[in-house]
Amino acid sequence: MSHPANTVRSLLQTDLVTAPTREALNGRLNAPPRRPTFFSADEFALLQAVCDRLVPQEGREPSQRIDIASGIDLRLSENKSNGWRYDDMPPDGEAYRLGLRGFDESAQAWFGQSFRDLSPEQQDEVLTAVQALEAPGSTWDILPADHFFEELLAEAVENYYSHPLAQEEIGYVGMADAPGWQRIGLNNLEDREKQTDASA
Amino acid sequence: MTTTHDIVDAVVIGTGAGGAPLLARLARAGLRVVALEAGRHWNPKLDFATDERAQDKLFWNDERLSAGQDALAFGNNNSGTGVGGSTLHYTAYTPRAQPDDLRIRTEFGVGEDWPIDFADLASYYEEVEQFLGVSGPSPYPWGPTRNRGYALGPLPVNGAGQLMERGCRTLGIRTSPAANAALSVGYYQEGVGHRPGCTNRGFCQAGCTVGAKASMDVTYIPLAIHYGAEVRPECFVTQLVRNASGRISEVVYIRNGQEERQRCHNVFLCAGAIETPRLLLLNGIGNSSGQVGRNLMAHTALQLWGEFDEDIRPYKGIPGAIISEDTHRPTNADFVGGYLLQSIGVMPVTYLSQMARGRGLWGSALKQAASAYNHVAGINILGDCLPYEHNYLELSDETDSRGLPKPRIFFSNGESEERMTAHADQLMRQIWDAAGARNVWTFPRNAHIIGTCRMGNDPDTAVVNADGRSFDIPNLYISDNSTFPSALSVNPALTIMSLALRTADKFLTSQRRTA
Repeated sequence: MSHPANTVRSLLQTDLVTAPTREALNGRLNAPPRRPTFFSADEFALLQAVCDRLVPQEGREPSQRIDIASGIDLRLSENKSNGWRYDDMPPDGEAYRLGLRGFDESAQAWFGQSFRDLSPEQQDEVLTAVQALEAPGSTWDILPADHFFEELLAEAVENYYSHPLAQEEIGYVGMADAPGWQRIGLNNLEDREKQTDASA
Repeated sequence: MTTTHDIVDAVVIGTGAGGAPLLARLARAGLRVVALEAGRHWNPKLDFATDERAQDKLFWNDERLSAGQDALAFGNNNSGTGVGGSTLHYTAYTPRAQPDDLRIRTEFGVGEDWPIDFADLASYYEEVEQFLGVSGPSPYPWGPTRNRGYALGPLPVNGAGQLMERGCRTLGIRTSPAANAALSVGYYQEGVGHRPGCTNRGFCQAGCTVGAKASMDVTYIPLAIHYGAEVRPECFVTQLVRNASGRISEVVYIRNGQEERQRCHNVFLCAGAIETPRLLLLNGIGNSSGQVGRNLMAHTALQLWGEFDEDIRPYKGIPGAIISEDTHRPTNADFVGGYLLQSIGVMPVTYLSQMARGRGLWGSALKQAASAYNHVAGINILGDCLPYEHNYLELSDETDSRGLPKPRIFFSNGESEERMTAHADQLMRQIWDAAGARNVWTFPRNAHIIGTCRMGNDPDTAVVNADGRSFDIPNLYISDNSTFPSALSVNPALTIMSLALRTADKFLTSQRRTA
């Protein structure tokens, strides 16, 4: 199932979106590239490689790639929290640093190479093992791999699907609610929703 | 230099469902009252976006540590900040508790009874429903006969609601449009003014921009201000200072990085079931029973999601459109209490984040499941939970940005909650199968933190009495979900508000008696 491009971007030009909504989404759409301020360059490149496997963006123009890792770096730079963490996990920044080290450690143990040098299939093998608590490496003795993977994945997914381009990908136009919704039942679409009807 | 404010009759700490109604009641009685709120006072029209990320400013995002087998999520679950508290992002689902919810111990021999009767609550339920403009069916199909129907007719039913009706009809389960504290048509209340009807935005959990949803900032807070209350936002309370007689004489708080002090005759602590016990523990007061932070409960709240052929667009309409309470006391139950069933719409980032956590999907599997978002609908339960020795809140050694110890919360479901969840899992699968769902999956969760400063008749086992008054400190009252002796089989907001009004009335009566 694929949805037409440009839906959200064109809606953002209209009165169907409220001013605060437009501001939030345009801010993300037009965010300038930034250098990491929490992670080292190596850590950041590794985090990007991991995010590329978790939320693949194949087929997306390089200029339209959603920078998932930057969102994580920015949050950690600002020392922000989502309100809780598993008690068996270290503070978020430390967990990320440890976890990234763990990915490389597991990659070395199995393939004799750093995670970034692995093939996509090998990278997926490492990620699958971390998620299933089966990855090799002493890092995973001190960092609960399942909880780390869950937190990383949830944050990557939230960063990705908060972005207007990802919302176009799933045919989401809920931000265009300035006039409200009158047709809310099954198969009952407003005109502005019909352009994202994949079956149409 | 510290600012010290002139003495007031009452300080209310927190402006959510526990604080706001009480604030209005005390102000109406002519008392000089000040509410201290940690968060900001938003203007929803200008400040709220239809965007989940932008709206995470409504959540209490100071970090809490979650321990136990079923570690509780906070932030967007179970917390709120800003004038209005977590009602800023509640779904406005406002069913009444049923009378037997208050007598769990009598009925099952475990848990705790409430020290008040249902009759004590019923008139307050009615008052709150009428004031907020709750939209719902009259008559309501479950529970005791009522004196008065809901203020407004029910809200329109969205796709998820239609599917729940379809599935339940096949199985012979009764359903009804739910009671929601969002206006099905415009509504006028003296002291508040006119609020417009719901536009079916479906973003209740990220803040209502039109004022149709009855969050406290558009209902009891304006009423309180109308009667002369002062609401002081961005004030984080750190200390409750006692005088020689053991009464609280001053509340100390931080505003703009500066300490301020508010002298007072009485204090109403309404900060929710985490921050209320945390503040008492930080100050080492009100805990002669040893029960502060204990008896922590969280509703069983399993969600079940499925994909349908129909175009659903789960971001539209009141999220909880349809209810069934046929599972209030199921005949084949092997657990304590019961639960309600609720249809649920969902915002995209919330849905996909839960899918990441609950199913662990990533890579192409994630992308594929995400592409079905417009065809997704859910049902969930909201069920009772027993208090256990192993579920509690404590202060950790780790400090937050304010230099205060972070709370650590232990939570594990017990056998009763696990059995109830298994019962509901099976039933909801049947309903969704009958409705035509594919790719069904469940998201285990617990919602609503309840019961960390419980009320009771015995000062050895309860923190406050039936009027919400501390057994240890005569001028300290607690009004929020922390005082519930049992979790109830319904969402807590309506009961918190009703109990808040009752606590205010009991206080006012006692003042008149001593005057």
